[in-house]
Amino acid sequence: MSAYLARRFVGALLVMWAVATLVFFMLRFVPGDPIAAMLADAGSEEAAAALRAKLGLDQPLIVQYFYWIANVLQGDFGNSIYGNNQPVATIIAEALPRTLSLAFISFVIAIAIAVPAGVISATRRNTMTDNTVSFVAFLGLSMPDFWLAILLIIVFAANLQWLPAIGYVPLEDGFWPWLEHLLLPAVATGTAFAAIIARMIRSSLLEVMNRDFIRTARAKGLTARHVMWRHALPNAMIPVITVVGIAFALLISGAVVVENVFAIKGLGRVLIDGILNRDYPVVQGAVLIVSAFFVFSNLAVDLLYGVIDPRIRYA
Amino acid sequence: MSDDRLKAAMKSAWQDAHDFDPRDPLYGLSRDELSGPRLSRRATLRLLAAGGTLTAAHLMPGGLGQAIAAAKKGGTLTAGWAGVSEIVTLDPAQMGQVLQFQITSNVLSGLTHINADLIAEADIAEGWEVSADGLTYIFKLREGLTFHNGDAFDAEDLIFTYNRSKDPEKSIHSGNLANVASVEKLNDFEVKFTLKAPQASFLTKTTERASGRALTIVSRGALESMGTAQYGLTPVGTGPFRITEHQLGQGVVMERFDGFYDPERPHLDKVVIKPIDGAEPLAAAVEAGDIQFVGGNPVAAQLIDRFKSNPDLVVDIKPGPGFQSVWINPHRDPMKVESFDKPLAELKKEKGFMVRLALAKALNRDLYVQQARFGYAFPAYGTINPAMGFYYDEGIAETSEQAYDPEGAKQLLADAGYPGGEGFPELELTVRPSERRDGLVIANILKQELGITLNVATQEFSVLIENFLKMEFDMRLGGSGGDYDPDDGVVDWMMSDSKFNGRTRDKAKYPIGYFADSEADALIKKQSVTAKPDDRRALVQEANKITSDKVASGFLYHPVDVLIHSKDVVFPAVSRIPGLTDLDRVSFA
Amino acid sequence: MMTEIASPAPERAQSPRRSRLRASLAKDRKAQFGLIVLAIFFLGMLLAPILAPYDPNEMTLDMMQGLSWSHPLGTDDLGRDLWSRILYGTQISLFVGVVTVAIALIIGVVLGVVAGYYGGWIDLVIMRYIDLQWAFPNFIIAVYLVAVFGTGLLNVIVAISLAFIDDFARVARSMTLSLREEQFVLAARSMGVSDGRIIMRHIIPSAMAPIIVQATVSVSYAILGEATLSFLGLGVEATTPTWGLILAEGRGFISQAWWLGVFPGLAIMLVVLSINFVGDWLRDVLDVRETV
Repeated sequence: MSAYLARRFVGALLVMWAVATLVFFMLRFVPGDPIAAMLADAGSEEAAAALRAKLGLDQPLIVQYFYWIANVLQGDFGNSIYGNNQPVATIIAEALPRTLSLAFISFVIAIAIAVPAGVISATRRNTMTDNTVSFVAFLGLSMPDFWLAILLIIVFAANLQWLPAIGYVPLEDGFWPWLEHLLLPAVATGTAFAAIIARMIRSSLLEVMNRDFIRTARAKGLTARHVMWRHALPNAMIPVITVVGIAFALLISGAVVVENVFAIKGLGRVLIDGILNRDYPVVQGAVLIVSAFFVFSNLAVDLLYGVIDPRIRYA
Repeated sequence: MSDDRLKAAMKSAWQDAHDFDPRDPLYGLSRDELSGPRLSRRATLRLLAAGGTLTAAHLMPGGLGQAIAAAKKGGTLTAGWAGVSEIVTLDPAQMGQVLQFQITSNVLSGLTHINADLIAEADIAEGWEVSADGLTYIFKLREGLTFHNGDAFDAEDLIFTYNRSKDPEKSIHSGNLANVASVEKLNDFEVKFTLKAPQASFLTKTTERASGRALTIVSRGALESMGTAQYGLTPVGTGPFRITEHQLGQGVVMERFDGFYDPERPHLDKVVIKPIDGAEPLAAAVEAGDIQFVGGNPVAAQLIDRFKSNPDLVVDIKPGPGFQSVWINPHRDPMKVESFDKPLAELKKEKGFMVRLALAKALNRDLYVQQARFGYAFPAYGTINPAMGFYYDEGIAETSEQAYDPEGAKQLLADAGYPGGEGFPELELTVRPSERRDGLVIANILKQELGITLNVATQEFSVLIENFLKMEFDMRLGGSGGDYDPDDGVVDWMMSDSKFNGRTRDKAKYPIGYFADSEADALIKKQSVTAKPDDRRALVQEANKITSDKVASGFLYHPVDVLIHSKDVVFPAVSRIPGLTDLDRVSFA
Repeated sequence: MMTEIASPAPERAQSPRRSRLRASLAKDRKAQFGLIVLAIFFLGMLLAPILAPYDPNEMTLDMMQGLSWSHPLGTDDLGRDLWSRILYGTQISLFVGVVTVAIALIIGVVLGVVAGYYGGWIDLVIMRYIDLQWAFPNFIIAVYLVAVFGTGLLNVIVAISLAFIDDFARVARSMTLSLREEQFVLAARSMGVSDGRIIMRHIIPSAMAPIIVQATVSVSYAILGEATLSFLGLGVEATTPTWGLILAEGRGFISQAWWLGVFPGLAIMLVVLSINFVGDWLRDVLDVRETV
């Protein structure tokens, strides 16, 4: 087991290293000169040369690459080449709580909607309720998240003025202000996610309900409710967990567009802005973090799946 | 002062201001009246009258220079900064955007600061003396001031700032100090600047705290203790507000600084600045009352009417200090011009120039302003903007060769070999993503007027500016903001070696940038060193006219400067400096 | 001659499958709805020049006019007719959706089948790459590629296609791995049938069901992806409008002109919803397990 774990872990690190390397070199082929943009207003040739030297952009590519890798291994992601050269680690550290908060609230909303919806449609299979839930789930899957975000702003921020249209307030400034700013964006990102989970739970439940142990439980005279919540659902959740793990990482990337609409400077926004501004160090740092999320959530899901494998439990 | 006496005094001031020889409004004023702390009141009023911008408000006793009495103290102002998602830096050495120095103008000081009429006044300097040859300036600094962190301020801080800004590794403004030969500390509170050549814009461009930035005073102690990165977020200075908090993407918090040199200012206790990207979120925040003041990038034009109709808001519109152009690459067919350096009559015989002139003449600026800017902009024919008042040429809309003339434009295009746009290649018009709408309107106008097709391509600013400076583009929409002095227009944009004029082009391939004309160069150089405003004005307008006639670019519009705040906020006229948001005299009603 | 021995396997499945399709379609109201809506949009795409009352790019000073007989869906911020723009927008959206998936399908299936069939170091190399891409959300890859290549129709197509390759490669590989051990493949092999022929005649046809389902789902993701890229200003910059672009352009005006925020999004949603309905029906009828 531990050898397997170590092998998977090293594999994940290798994937991340490959991603980072690929991004490092591809980014250098992107047209656009960050120095020209920085000095747009007041530059001279000397100033540009000085700045380039200061940022190490005058070094050969391969030298830049090794410096970067060496620094990353020491936990130093470099500095943004814009403005006052904020350390990339700081930028990411500031953005991460915002994206994680958003992902967390979306996750909570999605689960809160998806579990009851999935259970209801599985227990009332092929009824009107089931069909409605299934239709709504399809709608949720089909709505572009940025469009949903716009609709939410039109209705709840602009017209009803119940919730703020934009921005983020850190949790330290109070629970309600934090939640209030995250509700609309979380609904926008969480809807598609809820739809996926609800459908997953439904089909997984239907499968589990046909298994022997459920029949046994029923035969023992347990109430339908008991069977559902104590036996069927926990077992039905096992395949769902694999989806949740992947989808949680997907939430983070889905946040890119929604963060844009709600003006939240989260990880997705940092990444997109970095790409658009050719802010090399920021993009590399953000890419590393995002890919780490993906690689390790996949890894965690695989391991978790092994731990709770039904064959082990019900053998 | 009773009303009658006030009226009489204002009337006589009005007459005195207009009692001048239009060719030389400053005739009869002594040179002393041109030295600081500000130009004499007489000189100022005459300049305003000559520029046609003198209003009754200027004639109030003390002019605009006096704070409105008895402003209410205290309160927290929440401001939204439009069109920006984060304020990357507030370090004067690194700032290049108006929305940044709008903030630092409340936090940091300069030797001088422009007033609402774009004339330099003393700031942290008490006054200055100019030598007869215009080469030396001796500034007397205010005494007894402290920085926000408690450090005392003296001449050493100015010298430190100068050395920092001069170093291209530390500052992007080193170019603005190129004309300074030396800076010398005479004593703790007197500093002497020696220039290489006289420079008319010295006080409004080099020593100014907002648009200038090269000599915006930074704190040695704070830079040392917090490091450059942190200083860029929470700079320490000697201004009326001190920054207490700055989270990237979240906003800036400024609080009243008790040690400011004017104990009356500021009135507000606290200002919270939130960056708000996008028109709709801004509108929502303003209408919900979440923010009471709007700064930052120009507000999306479609919101202006909407805000104007809102009874809770004050919307004040003035000409903005800037210009926008359609740049036409003279190295690309079919608008190729090898040299502009010949008489206009001869240029007009060249096919490439005919095309350029046709494009410029076909720009229906009124339609553009209506469709793209919802009516909020002024048609432009040169780099000198109407906010510059005195230097602006009111007649240029009629006299310029670029004046809108659809028939003339069609004829020129036909003469160049493209009747009705036939055979004209599809050109690319590059714009920033936020200007896409503007690009579409331009393409549509040229399609309607000339029958030619422009493809609007958006490029991120970093790509766009690189291609522009390398002269690798067909046509580009772009221009300048924060232009307070004529130098900001003609020196920065219209000379053969201007900083934007194909600076990084391959000089073997492209001998000139987008424009080069020796006559314009000579005039621009001369106006730069002409201290007498009226003489300077003549030179500026002549140069401006040449660049317009020879189509240095298809000049499009001057933006408007829109001030938006809630009715509860008192924003006195004296603080109404185009492009800036000085909050030191602002209070709640 | 001898190669024909194994071929009945996939073909035998063909005709009952077709009638099963028809029978299940008669029962599936959602799939009927989806097919009808898609047919309408497809017609709209072909007939846009006839159905659109205005040139979609014609600007007027009638800016942000509400719904009326002359402008059924109102006008946008530049006085252009929204109905005409949405109609023409169908062209790009459907085109991008179908073309990108076709490209991704071809490349992905070839990679997946080759990896699964040959195994060994070929499998290792291909799968390392697929894993690498798998470590990234498709959308982030597309954004990144557009940033590298620049905007424009061709670049958007390339970016979205590349982003989907890993999905098809994974499906194709896992199908190939199981099919490789099937009797009819082993038989063909033992009779010396060439690898290329086995792959083309036996493996790919048998692996088609999950690939078709994957392709259907991917078309909806591709349409959403194009709309999202356009919305972020990274999309197609053609003279013809796209739905994402119309939404992005209207974004600054929605509280003054709600129709700019509602109708283009509605169009996207209807098409994507219909594709999902059809995909769901295909999944059922082709008996493919749901994956994410």
